[in-house]
Amino acid sequence: MGDKLDILQGTLDLMVLRTLATLGPLHGYGIARRIEQISGDHLILNQGTIYISLVRLQERGWIRSKWGVSENNRRARFYSITRAGAKQLAAQTETWERVAAVMGRVLAVDRSDGDR
Amino acid sequence: MTPWLRIIWSKATSIVRNDKLDREFDEELTTHLELLTGDLSRGGLSEADAKREALRKLGGPASLREQHRDRRGLPLLDALAQDVRYAVRMLRKTPAFTAIVTLSLALGIGANTALFSLVDGLLLRSLPVREPDRLVQVNVIPIIPGGFKKGLQSFDRTVFDDVRARDQIFAGVVGFWRLDRPTVAIDGVTEPTREVELVSANFFRALGVSPIVGRMPAPSDGPVAILSASLWQTRFDGSPDVLGRTLTVNGLPHSIVGVAPSQFHGFLVENSPDVWTVSPNGGDLMMVARLKPDVTPVQAQDAMQAYFRQHVLQRFRGALPPDQVVETELVPAGKGISPLREQYKGALLALMALVTIVLFTTCTNVGNLLALRSGARRRELTVRAALGAGRSRLVLQYFVESALLAAMGGVLGLGLAGWGVSIILSMLPLPAVPDSLAFHPDARILGFVAGVSLLSALLFGLAPAWRATAVDLSGSLRTSQGTTPAKGARRLGRVLVSCQVGLSVLLLVGAGLFVQTLRNLSNLDLGFSTDRLLQVSIDTRFAGYGARNVRSVDVEEDREGEVGAVYRLLRERVAAIGGVKSVSGSRNPLMRRSLARMAIRLPGLDLSRDDNWDAAEVGPDFFETMGIRVVRGRTFNASDYQHRGVYVVNEAFARHYYPNDDVLVKSPAIIGVVRDVRIFDVRSEIRPTMYEMSRPEPDRVNSILVRVTGDPAAIAPAIRDAVQRVNPRLFVGIRAMGEDVKRDIARERMVAAISSFFSVLGLLLASVGIFGVASYTVAQRTKELAIRRALGAGRWSVIRESLREASVVFSVGLVAGILAAVALVRLTASAIADLLFGLTPTDAANIAGSVAVMVAVALAACVLPAHRATTIDPLAGIRED
Repeated sequence: MGDKLDILQGTLDLMVLRTLATLGPLHGYGIARRIEQISGDHLILNQGTIYISLVRLQERGWIRSKWGVSENNRRARFYSITRAGAKQLAAQTETWERVAAVMGRVLAVDRSDGDR
Repeated sequence: MTPWLRIIWSKATSIVRNDKLDREFDEELTTHLELLTGDLSRGGLSEADAKREALRKLGGPASLREQHRDRRGLPLLDALAQDVRYAVRMLRKTPAFTAIVTLSLALGIGANTALFSLVDGLLLRSLPVREPDRLVQVNVIPIIPGGFKKGLQSFDRTVFDDVRARDQIFAGVVGFWRLDRPTVAIDGVTEPTREVELVSANFFRALGVSPIVGRMPAPSDGPVAILSASLWQTRFDGSPDVLGRTLTVNGLPHSIVGVAPSQFHGFLVENSPDVWTVSPNGGDLMMVARLKPDVTPVQAQDAMQAYFRQHVLQRFRGALPPDQVVETELVPAGKGISPLREQYKGALLALMALVTIVLFTTCTNVGNLLALRSGARRRELTVRAALGAGRSRLVLQYFVESALLAAMGGVLGLGLAGWGVSIILSMLPLPAVPDSLAFHPDARILGFVAGVSLLSALLFGLAPAWRATAVDLSGSLRTSQGTTPAKGARRLGRVLVSCQVGLSVLLLVGAGLFVQTLRNLSNLDLGFSTDRLLQVSIDTRFAGYGARNVRSVDVEEDREGEVGAVYRLLRERVAAIGGVKSVSGSRNPLMRRSLARMAIRLPGLDLSRDDNWDAAEVGPDFFETMGIRVVRGRTFNASDYQHRGVYVVNEAFARHYYPNDDVLVKSPAIIGVVRDVRIFDVRSEIRPTMYEMSRPEPDRVNSILVRVTGDPAAIAPAIRDAVQRVNPRLFVGIRAMGEDVKRDIARERMVAAISSFFSVLGLLLASVGIFGVASYTVAQRTKELAIRRALGAGRWSVIRESLREASVVFSVGLVAGILAAVALVRLTASAIADLLFGLTPTDAANIAGSVAVMVAVALAACVLPAHRATTIDPLAGIRED
């Protein structure tokens, strides 16, 4: 477990949006399973927190939900991304990439400093 | 929807939908768990392991639900909703406490709301017209020599048109006149009594009052009528087909063209017209003008002054004494015109101050009850605090309870206020309750109630909440003293009881002043006996006798010269009724503040320019009927009736004008001196008064006076019938003189009644408070008192010991109350002096009396606790834990 990553604040929302944008409408478990699969089990995901993230996203109007029937014939809420959500996803993805790039550069410099 | 609005909306609605949302979330979690368990068991785990692993991966459902709820709702609002539910539960658990608190708050809030409603209606609220602040009433005051001013408020159409023509000063002038007892018929069917106001054609347009149905009168209209909203609702069920129907006023048909808005009642605050009529011709009008935006009141006043001087000189050249002056007065009319306002302003403000004190008293009472009760809840609070509730959270929870109590008190108080307003209005000498003063819980009133309730909640709720929540975590959980209030709350309780005592003293001093005033006025020697004396109000003008300018349009014949005849006939007819001892009359009705002033030159009478005196024009047998004692000389006889030129004066007159001489010798025209009497009103100082015999042909007569031997109530109908048989329009009313006297001091009666009611209430609350302190001491010190008893302490020493705390609390309150009362009456002395009679605001006897009452009540409140203290069984006390 030691090499698993905690989820950074705010990144779960982005992952959920990305998942919904890629796969279309999904229920909470579907989203959780997908994120775990993609991360290749590198993430510690308390699956329940997905739902907290879903409330937050729905409040902001970035996703919407509809009751449907799951694989096991249960009533389940299916979430899908809205246009505003797609826009938000694009914007946040860009921000994230910039931050990641900057972080990468800063850390690379530090490391080379340390090497000297 | 903007994002923030959406979030707030979703959060706000989620509170309402909490249960449903919880269920839905549970469903989602169940599905999730099943799917996860399914996947895990397919991955090779046993069913039990899969379940356990699924739960671990998902997280605990209960905690998730909590997080989910917090996330979707507003945590604070959610907590508030929870507090409200909790508070409701707590209040339902103690129904007696809740009822007492609610009722006591309702009395305080209701009294304030009732007074506010009246103050608002009479003093604060502007008329619902366009720019009411720019409206002024035009009055003219001819100054009669002697400095006596008699205001003229009504003017004929010539003056009205002249004033209207000054359009460089006024942006519109409207005229109106309240018809005296008009006969109204609709479509030929006679209506019950209706209030009718005659208005100028531009009335509604110039005031910016748009009819809610139909249209405004147009200048080209013939006689038209606008109905009031209330007549339209009650008489026509609000049907629009009322338009075009015919309404006849005093025989003149008007076509109904519209309905006025329900808040509009014209300018006269005490009268709410049912109908406004516009007719091109008609009698005098009162005038209200709208100042042009750039014209100041002073400029307008100067211009009107110039006009009226000139006008009066032109029209009455020669008819007036050369030193006759007129003064023009422009009175703000934006709040309506009200004779009652001047008379009752001070009384209403004094009562408003009084009920404010009442509200404080009820708040301290409730605060005290809450503080006491907090003792019973100390353990519960400690548990909550131990479980991690912050102090602010506990204060909030407490405060929610207070706010809930205040809200209930406010709602109940609103009901009491409506009741209170109608009681107060019924005490005023008004013929009917005008709609403009009646209780209408509109936005202003509701706002006031909400404000006062909130203020009360803050007053009585915050301090106990703060005190009560100062809990010592370790202490009260361990000890058995779960039911004793925290020390701070106890101290607060004592302070509050002191406050109650002080406020009660304030109320007592106030009420004492007003009650004593009423007593002084009631016991005042009027100089004549009102026993078995009846006054019949008649109106010879209205019945068409005498004067020409009668405003009732259908009496057209000129009957000048008939007043004397009808006056004689009335006296004869009434005198012929069995049980009638003596009959007379007076030109002006007595005890209605309707008086004339005069000054004439008599041989032997030295007059300075400013002298004038009260004058009464009376019928034959006046002094005999009234029972006014003759001091010197004689009164009028039959031959004086023919010749006139002789006068009877009162003692004040003789004293003032003939300090050193015999009035009868010096001025032979004065034939007699009678005792000083109060016949015009009760309060005024007795001024020099001159009586003259009524002329054989008076211009009008308004009062017939009847002294009877039997039961006045039994004879009154016969008198009424006799008058009505002469002419049905003559009769206005019949009343015992004692009743007229009572009505004359209606204001003092009302102030005394209301203030004593509330001071009794204040006393009651204070005595409950003292009782609480005393019995608490006894209960708490039972053990100690029992030991003292066992050691041989006497009854009195035990009583003294047990009442020590209560008497300290009481004395502090008493002294503070006396000081505050003296300071308050000193501060407001000039304002309340007008309300008092026969005593000064700082009357020592009154303050002493108030203190005595307070002490007596406090002692009474201590009887029971003291008795309990003396009957403590020494052994039982020692055994007690």
